[in-house]
Amino acid sequence: MHIKEFITTIPVKKVTLRDIVSFEKTPINLLIAVMTLLFLVLFAVGITTYILHGHHAYNVTKEHPWGLLIAVYIFFVVSSTGLCIVGSLGDVFGFKDYMMISKRAIFGSIITIVSGFAVIAFEIGHPITMVIYNILTPGFTSAIWWMGTLYGLYMTFMIIEFVFLLKHNMKMAKIFGLTGLLVGLAAHSNLGGVFGFLNARTISNGVFYPMYFILTAFITGIFLSFIMYGFKYRLKFDEKATLLLTNLAKIQGLLIAILMFFVTWKMLSDVYGGMPNRAEVARHIFSSATFWAEVFFAMVIPLFIILKSAGKNIVGMFWGSLIGMVGIFFMRYNLVHDTQLKPLQMLKTSEYQLVPTWIEYFPSVTEVMISLGGLGLCLFLYYMGTKLFNLDE
Amino acid sequence: MARYGMALDYKNCINCKACETACKEENGVLLGADNHRIWVGMKEIEGEYPNLSIASNTFYPSQCQHCDEAPCQEVCPTNATYYDKDGQVRIDADKCILCSYCINACPYDARYVDDRTNTVDKCTFCTDTRLARGETTTACQNTCPTKVRIFGDLDDPNSEISQVLQNREHFTLKSNLGTKPKLFYLI
Amino acid sequence: MSTEVSRRKFLQGSIALSVIGGMASTNLFSNEEKKGKIKTTTKTNTTQARTVSTLCEMCVNKCALIARVENNIITKLDPNPLFPKSRNMLCARGNAGIQALYDPDRLKYPMIRVGEKGEGKFKRVSWDEAFEYIKEKTVKILDEEQDNRSSFMFCAGEGMAEHTFKTFYDGFGSSNWLNHSSICLQTVASAYGVTLGTYPQADLENAQYIIMAGANRAEAFVTPDTMDFVKKVKAKKNSAKLICVDPRFTNTAAKSDKWLAIKPGTDLAFVLALTYVTLTEELYNKTYVAENFNGFEEYSAMILKENYTPEWAEKITGIKAKEIYEIAREFMANAPKAIYYPGRRSTFSKNDFQLRRAMAIFQALGGGIDCKGGLVFGKQFKLKDHEEIIPMYDNAKARAVVMNNQHIGYDSCAIVSGGGSWISWRNNFLEETQPYKVRGMFCYKHNPMMNMPNTAKTAQMLKKMELVVCIDTMPSDTVMYADVVLPECTYLERTDPVKTFGGVEPAIAQRNKVIDPMYESKPVIEIMRALTNKISKPLFEITKKYDEEVQSEIASSSEKEVYEEFDLTKPFMFSQEQINEYTVSDYPDAAEKLKTQGVYYPKMDEYFKQLSENEFEYYPEAAKSYSVNGGKPVTPSKKVECNIESFTKKGIDSMPMWRDEYMYSIPKNQFRLMTGRHAQYTQTSTANNAMLKDLMYQNYLWINKHVAAEKNIAFGDIIEVSSKIGKTSLRAYPTEKIAPDNLFFIHGFGQESSELNWAYKNGGNDNAIIEDFMEPVYGAAAMHETNVEIRKV
Repeated sequence: MHIKEFITTIPVKKVTLRDIVSFEKTPINLLIAVMTLLFLVLFAVGITTYILHGHHAYNVTKEHPWGLLIAVYIFFVVSSTGLCIVGSLGDVFGFKDYMMISKRAIFGSIITIVSGFAVIAFEIGHPITMVIYNILTPGFTSAIWWMGTLYGLYMTFMIIEFVFLLKHNMKMAKIFGLTGLLVGLAAHSNLGGVFGFLNARTISNGVFYPMYFILTAFITGIFLSFIMYGFKYRLKFDEKATLLLTNLAKIQGLLIAILMFFVTWKMLSDVYGGMPNRAEVARHIFSSATFWAEVFFAMVIPLFIILKSAGKNIVGMFWGSLIGMVGIFFMRYNLVHDTQLKPLQMLKTSEYQLVPTWIEYFPSVTEVMISLGGLGLCLFLYYMGTKLFNLDE
Repeated sequence: MARYGMALDYKNCINCKACETACKEENGVLLGADNHRIWVGMKEIEGEYPNLSIASNTFYPSQCQHCDEAPCQEVCPTNATYYDKDGQVRIDADKCILCSYCINACPYDARYVDDRTNTVDKCTFCTDTRLARGETTTACQNTCPTKVRIFGDLDDPNSEISQVLQNREHFTLKSNLGTKPKLFYLI
Repeated sequence: MSTEVSRRKFLQGSIALSVIGGMASTNLFSNEEKKGKIKTTTKTNTTQARTVSTLCEMCVNKCALIARVENNIITKLDPNPLFPKSRNMLCARGNAGIQALYDPDRLKYPMIRVGEKGEGKFKRVSWDEAFEYIKEKTVKILDEEQDNRSSFMFCAGEGMAEHTFKTFYDGFGSSNWLNHSSICLQTVASAYGVTLGTYPQADLENAQYIIMAGANRAEAFVTPDTMDFVKKVKAKKNSAKLICVDPRFTNTAAKSDKWLAIKPGTDLAFVLALTYVTLTEELYNKTYVAENFNGFEEYSAMILKENYTPEWAEKITGIKAKEIYEIAREFMANAPKAIYYPGRRSTFSKNDFQLRRAMAIFQALGGGIDCKGGLVFGKQFKLKDHEEIIPMYDNAKARAVVMNNQHIGYDSCAIVSGGGSWISWRNNFLEETQPYKVRGMFCYKHNPMMNMPNTAKTAQMLKKMELVVCIDTMPSDTVMYADVVLPECTYLERTDPVKTFGGVEPAIAQRNKVIDPMYESKPVIEIMRALTNKISKPLFEITKKYDEEVQSEIASSSEKEVYEEFDLTKPFMFSQEQINEYTVSDYPDAAEKLKTQGVYYPKMDEYFKQLSENEFEYYPEAAKSYSVNGGKPVTPSKKVECNIESFTKKGIDSMPMWRDEYMYSIPKNQFRLMTGRHAQYTQTSTANNAMLKDLMYQNYLWINKHVAAEKNIAFGDIIEVSSKIGKTSLRAYPTEKIAPDNLFFIHGFGQESSELNWAYKNGGNDNAIIEDFMEPVYGAAAMHETNVEIRKV
């Protein structure tokens, strides 16, 4: 009975269907509403196509088995980890200035990981088998096993933490928040490990990705905080929010600077380290537009906005964060694609073919639909969250 | 208990692809460009007509290397990829979740998706077909016109493969990765 | 067929070969086009299965195989280790035989044409209706032609049951027989025949030095040569040196010690120069030549007089004189264990007959004839002949060839062989220069539409024929022109006449039925039995009407007695199994062994040994037939014939000589087109095989990389290749492996039969553009004399 009682006392607003469809009909709100609905419809179409045709509906191949959905999954779980870090600043580490964003950030971390799971479910061929054999015959040497299992735990902790936050039980929230954060960080660095462990793929192999993932997660979390608050305050920030966001912008400036330092050294050592495969792949990456999209959108533009106003232009940073998230998307896409750039089979297997060079990949319509569907789901869940819960106090 | 391996007298290969067809028919491998368990690789010929390098046009038959330290096995989250009692790297289709991590991890490009079971598949050394029937050859070895392949138990010092590996120089592919392949190329 | 047969893709048993439905239409959403459509194969079971030993028919080699049958479905074809010719191997095509058996496009029912010829519109009929139709048309034509049985032409492709069909031709009484020889190995077989007495085999297993010129054994399989040469050349100990001479860098070149890029059609100059070096440096085996040569002095004198030096040959062939000196010396140093490989190819150039003569003589100069490591005649086990009937028809005219009034001989070639000259026959038919009208044809397992140069003319010929009866397994391009289509079952569904295979390690082998014929298809012997039952009496009636001798014979004895002589059904009375038993009845156990093991030779149980998983011994060394004639040729004179003076009367050089018209030259901006075979396809017969198509989707145009770059042609671009007679299109393959003024593509693609779902319009058809040039001795098609132009489309 305790559990039932516990659940019934979670503060949830009573909403009717009418409440849900009632929102201020400004052009921007309408646009977002239509977009969200459209994305959810695309999600349904994409899933239907996938169910009918399996992986043939995707442009993944033997040579490039991981495509857009893996990138989008990473995009979401990195967002989740990032929001978890931002949320923890207040309720776990006790920084008072950041307390106000905790609940919203933790809620954000839950819906982003749910959206990530919703997308990956249609990339993993047998998600139900996964749930069963993940437990029955765990592959302890597999980074994917650790990543998946830990993210599962992490999501549970995040939900519990969120419930305690709703109930204003800050002590329990702190315990679960800290546990969740640690599990999340472990899960997230394992996601880096998924790539780092690949010794066949020299461009990704090594310690770089597990560490870089944590750093970029924090950056992503801050971008998302700006976006959430930008919408909440319609860019008219009150004093408290201004203080919070200015501080976050300063941290972001530092983080992006560190990231650029990391990436510079990664690319320098890739290109000039002279390691076969790695150097030529890195040079090829330099010639790809998506790499420069990542650099400019996720690093150069946001950093420029922050530095120009010493972090005080928070409206600018709202726009900078939107651009930053586009950059973060490319960052995830590049990570997945670049790992698979170099074919493992460099011989011709038929007289009548060209010698394998770089593997090309462009997502199929179905992959794009499911990915946008993930975004639609995320927006929808966020909207529902604002209706159902008090995300501020 | 055995430890099966294969030695390839690869310089005898004429790229006739008998092995590929035998493998597909024996093991019910679906047709289609991405579906193959074994293949013959070749480089683009070097030189300019008529001064061409004969050596550059060597054919390299290949397939799953049945590594002793298989990267594909290490990365499998559900242990669907496992080492069977005779040392072959095998896949349990019931456990495979099709995360494709093994496809990415295999340095030899040996894995592909079987569209019937919708799981990852690869060469099994005919374990579940010919060897299960008590035969002692793989389909590819048996059919080969120039008898490129020698298949057998590496743990048995008297087996043909053990003998040939003792007496002839050989190399393995991407040995720097430490995968300890059991496909040996005879020089 | 467009109404019935295209919708007949129902599946037999559990083997599903069709494209999985619906998927192909969603390429917007998928990468299926790139991945290729999905087709299914069956995994073999681990439970007990039935096995049948039989012989392959995916190409001409007849390798021994063991078929695995599970629930009456053939799930696997494995090599049969017992057969010395195929040495426990089955190539890609052999393995893909299952796909030929279960090809959904197979001919399934007898059909009669309802649309225009070539259109492919047929109606399904019963066997009896089909035979009735043939009977009526045949009777009508023979009646109108007053029992000239030669008003029908018969043609057949190579195969074990070709003989069964030929028995029908013999009984029918026509003199017009055409087979593959004039588009195949006619010149090489005949040239060796007149020079050494027979077309020999090569003991590559024991040779120390091999020149393979124009032959591509790594791709154009001949068993056991293909296996033997690779193993010998790449052997760890005591290996042979291989010289590959080919305008194209082939897979054989890839296995060679030296590859010499020769200009197309100039091999004769190369061999003459080798001969020159051998003679001037006196490298030849003097004892052998003294004992076994006829006309050596004349030949030697001619070579020296004509001054066929390596320097002379260098200008013609493009092969450096230094190499020619070296090769001649090395060859003779290794002789008699040195082989100038005879090859088994189509005729490529007009001088082909003389080239083969020169090769045979050069080989004999080293003494490597009928000996270990040289060219061998081998032993062959004799089989009993079974009954055939060859009744004489008074009104049957002689073969429809055009005689030349000015000189002794024929209009288009010097000698007309048993298999005839296809091109010459077809062209004369179209030009109506034949001495009488030929109005109908019976075509068995033969595809003239695709197999000989100038497809357009062949189509005209088939359109002009009043009755075309095709017996085949697949709806080939020729079948599209048939009036009556009779579906034969595939080789896995029938027992064929037992065959004896001569050689160093001779054996007898038999094709045994693996499963019952599918659909309404039948083996050709049963088709012949039923057809002759239908037409034998009516045809006799025609003979009775016009043949005075028959009339008088009937008057003097009885109609019944006379008819018995003419009874066409007699040779087909017995089943193939009964005939085979009789044929091998001289050998105890043979019939039984052939049924159960597919292969038989005396003492097989004692001799046959498995040495390892990969190695087998068929005969002990001492029992092998390396030498059967004491090293002598088997010509009537028992000598190597260098100078055949009787040829002069027919306008043929009595000795191999170079003539200026043999010179290789091509106009600017044109290319010399070459064609050839491949290890995964057999001419046109395998073009619709799903498994083989999976290995190589279509044929590609080989073009020199630099030329392609100049013309802005990239891999995969569609190129239109055109000659004086037609054009064809296919995709480009820029490569360094071909000379700048040559083009090459594999024969057998570009089918126009819409009933071949996988082969239809896939790739380019060489015969649409190869001009009908003939080699002058036998009228064989000279396939590499055509110049073409290209255009990117």
